Amino acid sequence: MATTMTCNNFLSLQQRTFIQMRTNLKVVDNSGAKRVMCIQALKGKKGARLGDTIIASVKEAQPRGKVKKGDVVYGVVVRAAMQRGRCDGSEIKFDDNAVVLVNKQGEPIGTRVFGPVPHELRKKKHVKILTLAEHIA
Amino acid sequence: MRLEKCWFCSSTIYPGHGIQYVRNDAKIFRFCRSKCHKNFKMKRNPRKVKWTKAYRRLHAKDMTQDSTFEFERKRNRPERYDRNLAENTLKAIKKIDKVRVDREARHHALRMKGKKAKEQREATKELEQSIHMVKAPAVLQQEPSLTLPKIKVKVAHQQSEENHPMEE
Repeated sequence: MATTMTCNNFLSLQQRTFIQMRTNLKVVDNSGAKRVMCIQALKGKKGARLGDTIIASVKEAQPRGKVKKGDVVYGVVVRAAMQRGRCDGSEIKFDDNAVVLVNKQGEPIGTRVFGPVPHELRKKKHVKILTLAEHIA
Repeated sequence: MRLEKCWFCSSTIYPGHGIQYVRNDAKIFRFCRSKCHKNFKMKRNPRKVKWTKAYRRLHAKDMTQDSTFEFERKRNRPERYDRNLAENTLKAIKKIDKVRVDREARHHALRMKGKKAKEQREATKELEQSIHMVKAPAVLQQEPSLTLPKIKVKVAHQQSEENHPMEE
């Protein structure tokens, strides 16, 4: 019992950090990619956070999609395990790291977005993603 | 601005405090402080953790049903600002709080009723049964009125000091 408790503690007291080079992210739209690896976080010396854009390389893709494996794409981080401070002082964090693929202009490649998204995207002018989202946290 | 309730302990979360955790099924968990958050991460059930409101309500330590709780229900329709309405609401909040506190105090008093009498009974019984732990039975036989040690203090103390080394 004691060992299981300590195991639990050890795992849940993980410090979540930024999204940087080599970070694997889940893709939550229907653009065709499944997993994507970050190769550059635009803006931010330490890495990308919730709401930032990244450049990523597609590692895993569905057979017939708009992107294929090995493509270099832009993405917007819509869920991050690292907490982000809100302007009212509270903090928000999600369960996993997820990204929505966009083109250079910031418009999403896919037509649907799955899972909750934060409303930090509104400030970052990713309104299109917000309209496609099924739940805004 | 909205005052939320902590998912774990049910206290109010004021603006600027706490962490919101959004799960992938879009369920939002709000925590008032890291104590609650860490307990949640340990997968503790708030209904089993003694200091939470959930436990207290479940085990009838606090009031569960009361008409004053109806006023605090979540309303999602924003009201048009009306100065009179706002003023009256503020006055009403104060009054409702007072009423609720009074009712909770009454509930607590009801719960604790009969505690003093019970304690007294238990104390007298313990005194009767385990007086041998305080004074040696030999001493008690010599002075039968020693069941209540307040009587005849001087003589009793001397004798008990004699007896204690004997006991050990």
